[in-house]
Amino acid sequence: MTMIETVKLACIIDDDNMYVNLVKKIIETKKLCDNLLVFKNGKESIDYFEAMIQNLSEENVPEIILLDLNMPVMDGWEFLDRFMKIKNKFGKIITLYVVSSSINPNDINRVKDLSVVEGYLIKPMEIGDLEDIFKKSA
Amino acid sequence: MILNKKLLKNVIDDLDAGYWELNNNTSYWSSAFIKNLGYSPEEITVKLNFFLDHIIHKDDRNLFKDNFYSLVRHDSHFKQTISLLCKDGEYREYVCKTNEELPVNIQVDSKVVFFFEVKLKTHEKVKDDQFYFYETAAMTSTGSWYVDFKNRKSYWDMQTRKILGFPDDFIPSLKMASDLYAEEHKQLAADVFFNCAMTGKPFNIQIIMITAQGKRFWAKAMGKAVYNDNKEVEGIRGVFQDIDDLKQKELSLLKTSDIITSQNSRLFNFAHIVSHNLRSHSSNLGLIVQMIEDLDSPQEKLELLDNIKDISESLNTTIEHLNEVVTIQTNINQNTETVSFKETFSQIVRSISNIIRINKATINSDFSKVETIEYIPAYLDSIMLNLITNAIKYKHPDRNPTIHIKTYNDVKRNGRPVMEIVDNGRGIDLKKFGDKLFGMYKTFHYNEDAVGIGLFITKNQIESLNGEISVKSEVDKGTTFTIKF
Repeated sequence: MTMIETVKLACIIDDDNMYVNLVKKIIETKKLCDNLLVFKNGKESIDYFEAMIQNLSEENVPEIILLDLNMPVMDGWEFLDRFMKIKNKFGKIITLYVVSSSINPNDINRVKDLSVVEGYLIKPMEIGDLEDIFKKSA
Repeated sequence: MILNKKLLKNVIDDLDAGYWELNNNTSYWSSAFIKNLGYSPEEITVKLNFFLDHIIHKDDRNLFKDNFYSLVRHDSHFKQTISLLCKDGEYREYVCKTNEELPVNIQVDSKVVFFFEVKLKTHEKVKDDQFYFYETAAMTSTGSWYVDFKNRKSYWDMQTRKILGFPDDFIPSLKMASDLYAEEHKQLAADVFFNCAMTGKPFNIQIIMITAQGKRFWAKAMGKAVYNDNKEVEGIRGVFQDIDDLKQKELSLLKTSDIITSQNSRLFNFAHIVSHNLRSHSSNLGLIVQMIEDLDSPQEKLELLDNIKDISESLNTTIEHLNEVVTIQTNINQNTETVSFKETFSQIVRSISNIIRINKATINSDFSKVETIEYIPAYLDSIMLNLITNAIKYKHPDRNPTIHIKTYNDVKRNGRPVMEIVDNGRGIDLKKFGDKLFGMYKTFHYNEDAVGIGLFITKNQIESLNGEISVKSEVDKGTTFTIKF
């Protein structure tokens, strides 16, 4: 394997600016993906995805989503609920990880029961874990 | 249980009860019978006439004679209460029973008449069920009543008059029925009563009643339809019980449980702040440390210092918020003083005049109903300021904000002061956010400057002084906050 493939487009849904900036920085320095979409809450992102079905252009659909749970306006749970209904319409595998600072076992178990979620990462995540996620989807 | 003659003899001897045994024409009076009355055998003539003339009370004589002859001639058994004259000159009460009347079945050839002494004194004696009825009614504060539809009359027992505070000779009328119930329960009373009258459906409710003196009390009221021969409802018969003591305890328990629930949810919020907000700062810090270790160039490492500064600032803010909440809990013992709504309001309007002008907000106030309140001045200031600035901050995009703020007395709650703030802003979807509205760090709008601390503090300030805050809202119409002090 000489050729290194990278993820084209990833998406972060999180209201914590600081966290988003740091992850952005890691992704840039490690060159984990070409482009990054950032949404401040579930509402902004689900609006984006729902509009995407109407006017599908594959290059605008991310391969990876990093989703926070606690957010204003629309939280991660409601986003997951609406996202599940449309995720098969993209003709592309979207791998979704929940990234939250919640260590509440109820949250963790609830996420595990959802087939749409690939994994649950507790903040702060390890840089190594982030790299693994992107390598898996590349 | 069956006893033969020999067993019977033993039982009777042990029983210490007097009896007569009748065999054809002879009769035998047991020694216990004579001894119980206090006589010696020599003082007694074992003859019916002697008994009738000298021992039995004259009021009981004729009935006993009839009963006795019926027994002898027709084998007709009987049970009778009689008074017998004892040696000491006092009458004592006996229950006289023939063998057939005994609870046990005894097999004897002869007829036996037993005399059991009644241990209770005459005036304490249980006359009949009436006694139980009255005593139970008095003991449990239960009144009974009857409404007669045919004759259009209502009847009350003594206890009803007593509970409702009417004189013993008071004659109730159908018209006054609704006066007996609290204003807010008149409809309930009418509903169950007419339902019972029309369909015969019995009722069992808890309701606030009012005495003749105007005192309110909780009662448990039950009623059942009375039918005539044509199976039509011709009246309602019922009982009601004064359960005010119990109900008040129940209500105060409910209130305590509400307070505990709300304190619990405040604690939960605290846990949330610690687990989510403090954690998010520390996890960002953790991420930066990892990056500093991971990055090679010193220049890039230095750039991260700015981020550390940011984190330290937000950490400080969070701790300040926490501090604010903790201060409320310790301020409860702070002295309250008479605060004027109008003055507090004017001060706030002055201090936010810029915001009001920029947003073209109109604020109408009416504090004429309740002008002042005993409160912690800083709290009233903070509550009013927060609700007014919220109303402006979350104004509707299509119109200028108009805010009405007023005070009044809550009639249902002993005139407790209430403040109401109504706006025409964008409103909040309460179905979605209702349970989170007063939580910490909850924001519901897109505003960048929404911090989600204001309503949490406001609620805590109000509740720490035993008040309540509630909200009504419709998206695109506006929001009303009601504070019961």
